[in-house]
Amino acid sequence: MDLTGLKWLQQHQQMVSPEFLQILGSDGREELRKVESYLGNNIYDTIDGCISRTSSFQMEPVKNNEENRVIALGNKRKPEGKRETIEKKKKIKAEDETESSMKENSNMSNTETSSEFLKQDYIHVRARRGEATDRHSLAERARREKISKKMKCLRDIVPGCNKVTGKAGMLDEIINYVQSLQQQVEFLSMKLSFVNPELEFHINELSSMMVDSRSFPLHQQGSLDYSVINSNQTTSLNALKIETSSNWDVHSQCLYNNLRTDSVSSFFSLK
Amino acid sequence: MASADKPINTDVPEKDVFALHFLQSLSNLRRQNTFNSPEKTNDRVKKIKKAAYVSMARAAGGTNRLWSRALLRRAAKENNKIVRFPRRKKRVTCLRRRSNRRDPVEEEEAERLRNLVPGGGGMGTSKLMEETAHYIKCLSMQVKVMQCLVDGLAPK
Repeated sequence: MDLTGLKWLQQHQQMVSPEFLQILGSDGREELRKVESYLGNNIYDTIDGCISRTSSFQMEPVKNNEENRVIALGNKRKPEGKRETIEKKKKIKAEDETESSMKENSNMSNTETSSEFLKQDYIHVRARRGEATDRHSLAERARREKISKKMKCLRDIVPGCNKVTGKAGMLDEIINYVQSLQQQVEFLSMKLSFVNPELEFHINELSSMMVDSRSFPLHQQGSLDYSVINSNQTTSLNALKIETSSNWDVHSQCLYNNLRTDSVSSFFSLK
Repeated sequence: MASADKPINTDVPEKDVFALHFLQSLSNLRRQNTFNSPEKTNDRVKKIKKAAYVSMARAAGGTNRLWSRALLRRAAKENNKIVRFPRRKKRVTCLRRRSNRRDPVEEEEAERLRNLVPGGGGMGTSKLMEETAHYIKCLSMQVKVMQCLVDGLAPK
């Protein structure tokens, strides 16, 4: 073992593996130490440099040794000083970290694989600081957020719930509103049955409705709906002619001659 | 950060669709012979009410909404008719009835809501909210249609 070999080693900066040292034998080590003293620790520095240069990633030991489970880290996360956020996927365990410095330093290669998990169709929930991160409570929280989102939708629909806060009062308002709507339907159907006992619905009502509301699609040419209404009307016409009461015949004649709303109202006032 | 599901859809067709269906059902009603007797007002009222609900269910949801399906099924059972619905792509939700997804605090009022909204018994709380929203919109539309009709027919 001559010095030139070692010098060549140093110049070419090859990694000195422990096996290599073993090959050298104990004698070689002594010689290496001599060389080391001769070169002034340069070899070991270079060796260390080689090792550091050839490694693909850096790793620093995790000081927070509470749990040593797999950390699932998000790629887009910014290190925040005060408020810690952990991104959790439902199929990967989460680790409770309170130090943010560790996250900055660890660029583990398994973030690549974890990012693939992020793209799958899971519900992503952010756990805030101080809250539990076990799976059940997070699922509960996700469910509650869903329900509150839907309650917000309902708030826009149900009138007069600006003053009420909270879920209970809101639900009360909703129940009252639904009940009132159903009562209105019943009341209006009663009114309908009294106003028009024979249920004669003809073009008059349709035209009156057109006046009241927006444009009726029935009056477009060639629409299927219009033909359906037409056929219904003819059947009602035939039914009317079969009617025994003469009053109705007379009035129905006026009805079909005029298509105005005022004629309808006059017809009904004659009853 | 909770990722949102697809945005909640509570679209309701225009008033005209409701009116059309309602008038059709009413004209179907008057073809029945039992309708011309003016004495039995209660029966008439009930029939009109049922016609209103059924036409609303058909106009608004068709078979896409849980509440409309439940309504139509209930109405058909009263008439002793069998109603078949096309199979939906999602699996049936009544399998999830026994799971512990319900919060006992809000459950009393949700129970009352379930009794009001048709088909409410088989839904989870979050689904119930969606259906309630759509049901409320359709109900208000139907009320407007009937109000227009009554106003058009009422003596001035």
